[in-house]
Amino acid sequence: MENESPHSETPAASLPARPSIWSRLLRIKETGLLGVVLGLGIVLSTFGGSLEVRDRQSGSTHTVNKFLRPENLDKLAKNTSFFAIMAIGATFVIITGGIDLSVGSIYCLSAVCGAMFLHRYGPAGAGAGASPVWVVPAAVLLCLGVGALCGAINGLGIVLLRVHPFVITLGTMAIYRGIAFVMTKAQAYTQFPRQFTDGLIRYEAAGHLYPVPMAIMLGVTILAGLYLRYVVTGRYIFAVGGNEQAARHAGLPVQRVKLRVYAFGGLTAGIAAMIMLGYYGSASSDAGKGYELDVIAAAVIGGASLSGGRGSALGALLGALIIQIINNAIVILEIDQNYSQIIIGAVIVLAVALDRLNTVLREKRMTLFGKMRPR
Amino acid sequence: MGENGAGKSTLGKILAGVLRPDEGHFELDGRRRHFHSPLDARRAGIGIVHQELSFCPNLSVAENLCLASLPRRGGVLDRAAMWARAEQFLAEVGAECDVHAEMGRLTAGQTQLIQIATAVAGGARVLILDEPTSSLSAADSQRLEELIGRLRRRGTTIIYVSHRMQEIFRICDTVTVLRDGRHVATLPTNQTNEDGLVRLMIGRPLSKYFPSHVDRQLGPQRLRVESLSSPHKFHDVSFSLRAGEVLGAAGLVGAGRSEVAMALFGLDPDARGRIFVDGRRVRIRCPGDAIACGLGLVGEDRKQQGIVPEMSCGENLTLAMLDCPGRRGFFGRLVRCPASPRRTECLRLWDVIRLGDERHVVSRFFGRLRVKAASQEAPMATLSGGNQQKLILARWLARRTQVLLLDEPTRGLDVAAKAEIHRLIAELAGAGQAVLMISSELPEVLALSHRVLVMRQGRVAGIMSRSEATPQRVMQFMAGCGVSAAPVPETTSRPANGESPPDLV
Repeated sequence: MENESPHSETPAASLPARPSIWSRLLRIKETGLLGVVLGLGIVLSTFGGSLEVRDRQSGSTHTVNKFLRPENLDKLAKNTSFFAIMAIGATFVIITGGIDLSVGSIYCLSAVCGAMFLHRYGPAGAGAGASPVWVVPAAVLLCLGVGALCGAINGLGIVLLRVHPFVITLGTMAIYRGIAFVMTKAQAYTQFPRQFTDGLIRYEAAGHLYPVPMAIMLGVTILAGLYLRYVVTGRYIFAVGGNEQAARHAGLPVQRVKLRVYAFGGLTAGIAAMIMLGYYGSASSDAGKGYELDVIAAAVIGGASLSGGRGSALGALLGALIIQIINNAIVILEIDQNYSQIIIGAVIVLAVALDRLNTVLREKRMTLFGKMRPR
Repeated sequence: MGENGAGKSTLGKILAGVLRPDEGHFELDGRRRHFHSPLDARRAGIGIVHQELSFCPNLSVAENLCLASLPRRGGVLDRAAMWARAEQFLAEVGAECDVHAEMGRLTAGQTQLIQIATAVAGGARVLILDEPTSSLSAADSQRLEELIGRLRRRGTTIIYVSHRMQEIFRICDTVTVLRDGRHVATLPTNQTNEDGLVRLMIGRPLSKYFPSHVDRQLGPQRLRVESLSSPHKFHDVSFSLRAGEVLGAAGLVGAGRSEVAMALFGLDPDARGRIFVDGRRVRIRCPGDAIACGLGLVGEDRKQQGIVPEMSCGENLTLAMLDCPGRRGFFGRLVRCPASPRRTECLRLWDVIRLGDERHVVSRFFGRLRVKAASQEAPMATLSGGNQQKLILARWLARRTQVLLLDEPTRGLDVAAKAEIHRLIAELAGAGQAVLMISSELPEVLALSHRVLVMRQGRVAGIMSRSEATPQRVMQFMAGCGVSAAPVPETTSRPANGESPPDLV
């Protein structure tokens, strides 16, 4: 009976039709986050006020909306892209029920490695004049490779020592940053080949718009979203986080899944580091200090559950976007900078509280549903 | 007394305020009482010693004893007073033990006595002992009985839960039998005997099931286990299983049945022994190995070991089959299983699930097993226990598993769901699956099994054919009384020397 082709079978009659696309869309958490983003955007463009801008060519002045002006949106997109990419990696880790505190340090180490390489083959370095045809791809690969390697080391530590990921990544957080510090001797590296900065990451599309970081962010989000939904490993990630013991009982390679997830977390830090290098054209061992908290916050606001089993790539992106919009709002609304940490912290707590409320309500609905079912 | 799951422990916990009753009440000294917490019950004079030892192994004996009310002086722990009080408590129950010792280092017997001391410490007038001797040696049990005698002379009322018949008749004045959460009978111990109690405990009509699979011809031997042992869990377990056969495993809780199933499934790194699948010796070091050999385990604890609550029920069903090489498809492999359940070596990074095929597989099993769910996408947690269990079973069926290890497959299910699972097991065996069914429900074991394997204290106490396995006999093997302790020799426990083992059924 199992040998029949799938198309010859009649689907079970006991299954009602799938709920309509709209009712499903309403129930998805990302819809709510998107609503928050739009709401914040509307509030900021309404109350943000406007700015007098003098046109360089004609010399005439005209007013633009502070929030909606291209420079601001571009900055927002660029800032979001670093965090969103890393938050997607963190979301993968968090879905398995783990945590990665070392993203900021991996970001730093991989930026520093890339920076030293680019400096050497830049206009002022020893290898000046090397063909950008191989220098640029090599720099990209170096950033990503260092990131993935650091992540894999995290994963190996967690899998082999069977220690809680919090402890391992707390250790590697210090180690990776220390390595970066020693390597650079606390000095900043600049002067990269123009082909890497202006030619790649800071590639200008129209006026002052730099679409490359945003394109990379969107690409990573789409790939990660598809991966979680369509790829076997993606399914396993949810299973391991949802119930690790059950996953082991179903014969899943739990340790291998974990290893991959941490390597991916490191890889996303490497991608973010690469964008940062190209955008700012410099790096030092201070890069990415404290990023781990923003990254985890973005993942959590985006709906990743620290107890595992829940989270999405799109949610991570929206979570990072919300944090950046709030940062932006503090500037635009001319709130004292010193309040920014308090506000971000409050938003995190609020997001988690709402999520918790939602879970409680859903559980209530479930039990009601269970009771109504005829025996 | 009562079978596993009859409700003895639950009743005890309600009396001691650990659980709250849904309805009804009880009276203590003629007064209606409602306890909101174990502390309430303790103040009212009810002490309990739980079946599972409950203490903090990292604290000292004295700290454990006084944990409920640590003596304080000016807000600071008064250590001297605590030690003195602990000594006094221990003296009350006649236990000799160093109060400074770390609790985790004591023997099971000492711990048990200290637990009782803790319960009695508050001046308990009613003491509930939930299977206090299940983990004790004979000498320790002896001391415990003496202690119970002393407490009794002091006027303490004792509720003693046990499976051991001799103890009941030695210690108790009256005995109450529970069955399926209901009160069956209360009578003085001198008006009954062991057979009478067994009858009261089982007391269910066995003819409820109509298994058709037991008359079928059995196929070739699928699984043979020879002298499987794991330190402190079970010793020298040997049995065999043929295609189409249901081997029921009976025994008390803690007899080592679940542990054997776990070891077979590669979840016990300490297990040693020989396992043969289809006559070939196999090594099983992890569940992946076991699955590759065609084994599937439905764990005892559905919540912990079976379901992934937040994933959809469809995804739960297909969880164990995503690594099967597929026959066709864009990316080379996918959800559809080939005839051979051989596992692929490595989980590749980009193996894509064909969601369309997955839906077909899921809906086929939903129809075949009559799963009731809102949709395939409904989270597993929203399903009833019976439907969850069906899906966990289906997880292995979808993978075309040859040997099913079912650990308490009907635990916590209502009568209708139980009947469905029974029907399913019978159907599977009829279709040639080999099934090892661990169950604490004797009628279930007796009705569905071709043979019954009884385990006691980590050893195979005996293997009986269907005709030999009467409730009384199985119970006697389980409790280790009435019959001589020598295990019934099982043919396959002989070392394999080329000749195929003779039939047992």
